Amino acid sequence: MKVKFDVSKLSVIIYWIIVLALLGLFFSNDFGLVDIHKTAIITAVGIDSDVDGEVLVTCEIAAPQPSQSGDNIKYTQVQGSGLTIADAMNEVNSKTGFYPKLQFCKLILIGETCKDQELFRVLGCFYRKNYSELTALVAMCEGKASDMLAMSSPVSDMTSEAIRKALSEEIEKSANATSASLKDIALSGYSKSHACYMPFVEANVPGTSQNGGNGDNVGGDSSQGGGQSQGGGQNQSSQSGSSGGGGEGGQSGQGQSGQSGQSGSSGEPMEFTARRTAIFTDGKFKGILDERQSFALAILKEDIRLAVLPCDAEGTHYTLGLKNVKGGISLKINDGVPMLEIKVSASAQIQGARVVVQPSETANDDVVSEHVLKGANEEMQERIAALLKTVKENDCDILGVKELLYKYHTKYFEAFKDDLLSRMQVACKVDIFSVN
Amino acid sequence: MITLEKSIKSIKDILTSEDILVFEFASDKGKKFAVIYADGLIDKQLLGELVIKPLRHVDLEADKEEVKAALASPELKDGKKIADAVKEISGGNAVLLIDGEKDFFVAGVKSPPSRAVAEPPTQVAVHGPREGFVEDIKINLGLIRKRIKSDKLQVKTVFTGKQSDTAVSIVYIDGICPKGLPEKVEKEIVSGKIDIIPDSSYVAQFLAKRPRSLFKRCGSAEKPDIFCAKVCEGRVGIVVDGSPMCLTVPYMLMEDFQSVEDYYVNSYRATTLRILRVLSVLVGIMLPALYISAQLFKIQLIPFQLLLKISSSVAGLALSPSVEMFLTLFVLEVLNEASIRMPKYVGLALSVVGALVLGDTAVKAGIISTPAIIIIALSAICLYTVPNSVETTTTLRWLYLIIAGSIGPFGVVLFTSYLISYIVSEQTYGVPLAAPFAPIVKSDMYDSFVKANLYTLRERPDVFKPKNKVRLKDNEN
Amino acid sequence: MKINARQICFILIVYTAVTKLLIYPTMLANLCGRDVLFPAMINFLIEGIVIWSVSFLCSRTDKTFFELLTDNIGKVGAKIVYGFFAAYFILMTIIPMFEQMHYVHTIFYDTVPSLLVFLPFFMFAVYAASKNLMNIGRCADICLPIFAFTMAFLFIMAFQEVEWDNLLPILQTPAKKIIGGVSGTAFRFFEPCWLLMFMGHFKYKKWDAAKFTLSYAAGAAIVLLFLAVFIGIYGDIATSRTFAVSRTSIYFPAIETIGRIDLIMLYVLESVMLFALVINIQLSVHAMTFCTGYSDKKVWAVAVNAVLLIILITCDHNFHNINQFYSNWIWIAVAVFTVAVPLLAWALRRKNES
Repeated sequence: MKVKFDVSKLSVIIYWIIVLALLGLFFSNDFGLVDIHKTAIITAVGIDSDVDGEVLVTCEIAAPQPSQSGDNIKYTQVQGSGLTIADAMNEVNSKTGFYPKLQFCKLILIGETCKDQELFRVLGCFYRKNYSELTALVAMCEGKASDMLAMSSPVSDMTSEAIRKALSEEIEKSANATSASLKDIALSGYSKSHACYMPFVEANVPGTSQNGGNGDNVGGDSSQGGGQSQGGGQNQSSQSGSSGGGGEGGQSGQGQSGQSGQSGSSGEPMEFTARRTAIFTDGKFKGILDERQSFALAILKEDIRLAVLPCDAEGTHYTLGLKNVKGGISLKINDGVPMLEIKVSASAQIQGARVVVQPSETANDDVVSEHVLKGANEEMQERIAALLKTVKENDCDILGVKELLYKYHTKYFEAFKDDLLSRMQVACKVDIFSVN
Repeated sequence: MITLEKSIKSIKDILTSEDILVFEFASDKGKKFAVIYADGLIDKQLLGELVIKPLRHVDLEADKEEVKAALASPELKDGKKIADAVKEISGGNAVLLIDGEKDFFVAGVKSPPSRAVAEPPTQVAVHGPREGFVEDIKINLGLIRKRIKSDKLQVKTVFTGKQSDTAVSIVYIDGICPKGLPEKVEKEIVSGKIDIIPDSSYVAQFLAKRPRSLFKRCGSAEKPDIFCAKVCEGRVGIVVDGSPMCLTVPYMLMEDFQSVEDYYVNSYRATTLRILRVLSVLVGIMLPALYISAQLFKIQLIPFQLLLKISSSVAGLALSPSVEMFLTLFVLEVLNEASIRMPKYVGLALSVVGALVLGDTAVKAGIISTPAIIIIALSAICLYTVPNSVETTTTLRWLYLIIAGSIGPFGVVLFTSYLISYIVSEQTYGVPLAAPFAPIVKSDMYDSFVKANLYTLRERPDVFKPKNKVRLKDNEN
Repeated sequence: MKINARQICFILIVYTAVTKLLIYPTMLANLCGRDVLFPAMINFLIEGIVIWSVSFLCSRTDKTFFELLTDNIGKVGAKIVYGFFAAYFILMTIIPMFEQMHYVHTIFYDTVPSLLVFLPFFMFAVYAASKNLMNIGRCADICLPIFAFTMAFLFIMAFQEVEWDNLLPILQTPAKKIIGGVSGTAFRFFEPCWLLMFMGHFKYKKWDAAKFTLSYAAGAAIVLLFLAVFIGIYGDIATSRTFAVSRTSIYFPAIETIGRIDLIMLYVLESVMLFALVINIQLSVHAMTFCTGYSDKKVWAVAVNAVLLIILITCDHNFHNINQFYSNWIWIAVAVFTVAVPLLAWALRRKNES
């Protein structure tokens, strides 16, 4: 007798088998998954390097504690070391028993100790792994990154969050700091310019503008006068336990940085600023831009909403607020000569002046007199000039001039790419005008 | 010549039950009659007034026609076969037997116990009519006729159920309803050879070509205004005796998202509400699944600050996220079931037990976490924004939960794709379940996610292929 | 008729675009650097001409491709050609299938999950492949709004990060590299074959040929815009950013506060990708039923998926090599089945032309 095959009955059986199989998986939870109970949420990573070339990775980990309201979070630091970041992360994993996830890592702090290392050797792991997005902010810090992450801050329980506040978009838009994500660094580092920059984070004792660490201006050129307010290493010696002097800080910062953070972590909360900028060419550390140069760099490279520019005019110090700031560079080739055109325009209003204020005068703050505008123009020109000087001296194309050459004047690229920065002429046009 | 006793005996031999009563009486002139009826199903007063009283003065020699002329009942039928008499008596009518006559009369004095017309519990409307269907098919048909006075309204009654012999009326409007559809529906209903039809949901299963389907195949209406609106669009309505829930076919998935009130408020509000309902159902079905997928497989789905809070809440829990969610959903379903079945006076105790003991204490005891309760509660609330689909959506929620806990977010997406593929291939009576989206029926889009104003909805849904498409004529003045 | 012209338009818009958003942009960047638009345009142009040609052929006859072949080379010949097409569709599914698996493993899971995680795909594929062409069309009806919504969302999230001048310099890449880019990515283009299979299964109306071609152009435009956005965001490092569509929207500022909403969009888009992946399997099954004359699609659906499953399991660790092989050699198969055969279809006699 021929048995008729009932497909609909078979499909019901198949569906039941599938449901039972899924239930089995559901209750066994066995797909090699890593659930929320077993995960160490890494919020920041600090990278240091020792003399042997080993990297020391400090992970700031958010460790949630049992709480009904869900607001009991402990932040701890766990360290791992190895020849590569991945080695170090593996050690972190073995120490915590957790699976370290970098998806929530929003800050990568590179200690000054890494400045002799090739940048993309240090950061390479983050570009390789799918586990980390390229959105994390990257900054170099004075001293050791592990020490800085161990400091406490009055701003937030999470040190990395306090540091990130100093690198926030708002600060970036006020030209008080530059900012760089993993993507920005790779994009400029691997571009034809082969140069990149990142903010340089410093820790200060609250109420002062002095550094918590002992590092002085690292590298850079001698004209970095604007950064003097940060050069407070000598004042911090009692906290940092070092006697690191100022001056040629490129080396000085390195030696004692190990202790610098401990001062912060040992009790006194620290404030973080990132008003200076570390620069790199071909992945190699080239120096640190001071505040004024960083300001100029921010004006030319970032999208600025409101910047504050101090200037002197006729013996009086003024603080101007710059709105609608439009800064940028373009490259032209005139008769075979490369010409870098820098244009900055902004509308200004007086925010403060070292004079006794008469109520009747404040009504006219939007009308900035010519001599003040002239002072502001000059100040801006000086800052840009200082930036360009450093760029040329270090052959560090952080402005992306070679990239411009490649994009817009490709046929000249091969001819000019090696000595473009020294060969190019510069035309800087600054136009600061009154709001009204 | 047949005597009255013989006629009574032939019926009583079949209807032996004690609640089948026989009332014998005679006229002043001596003509003998008997009325046979089922106790409790007829209006005795009406029987007295319309049948017994008028026969008081009938002559002894009066024939069948004279008797018929004397009767005052407006609903009177001749009958010849005993089987018909038995059927009428079982159906609640009274059979009048006349001495010496083989034939009999059926008097429509049916008055089965029934509740009053009231607002139905599941289709409550702030705006619009509040009348709801009841269990009596006659009342229900009356409610329909009250709204559609057209001469084109057709009601065809068939009987189904081997034991119950339940009346099922097929209601449609001639000239609007697609040709052949009522006949198809009738065929499906009659083909269902089952003992009893206690409710319209039984009929719905006969109407569905694929009874194992997860999705409904018939629309339902508990209110005559909804029912009439659907019939006027070209659907066939089915009214089942003994059920306050009427059915409509063909059915589209989108129907359940169309609340009756959408047609009584302005189109902007109606559109907003519809989108809200669709989103709510999606959230209700998928939120628990996404939550555990995120916890188990992809914590990036959760915003960082929220993740910290959730991590803190679940830290120290004894159960894995999937089991925790399974347990919470299980408790919800149990509470839901118990709250419907439990006597009302125990309801308060249930609330206390459910909300305080199970909810608060379980969190304090570290068995389940606060976020899990929030997720499940939100999911439950969301699903009840579309009460007509709750059976399907709650089943889907379980399936999604199990898939998410076992395969993760990819399982959720894969199952969604499967559902899409499944839904688009389904159709009832030639109408795709996913219409007007798949296939796209452009003109019907105005009454889908979007509810356009009345002047835009000039035509009946195209997807039913109605004979007469025009719903709203232009003002000719 | 099983499918309608509008649904074919939707298929050409959505599935053309969605199959080229994962590895294709990265691959193209690897082959041609920043100059990705030009080779992509060349490929789209070639395929667009073939699409127009097949569409126009549809206007000349109501017959299916199988019937045309039968009229010209006999039933056996037609069956052989359909057999080749069935195999070709399987061949064209392999890379997108591996690509999907790796994408799923990366985007849907934080850790590296087991291969088992992707296997349920085959259950879906068996189910979908056992359905008829009407199901393909109706799924496209659903997919278009989903695709439009998610892509619009992802584009909006990505736009602010785009530096358009990263696309410069234009047309400075050596011709050899461009040709390498065209041939190396040619195996991602198989849309004209779909149209060949749909031929005769829909009612051709006036201007449908133009609509099909424009729909394909719309799909191509979306891909080109996406390529521009991708290169605009990543410039020189685009070569290392696989699964491009998942990389472009993560810089949206609101993600910081509302979470990875881009992931939700990608998950929604994934359902469209699955339909796009399955269409080749569906058409392979469709071709098999014609080739063998055995019309129970369930059996063929199981068979085709079994072949793919075996390939997936055995070649799991050789994706790179397979991709390389496809990049180097499969353009020949593409030239034959996607370009030459559809164009040669014009040479077939069309008895009883409508």
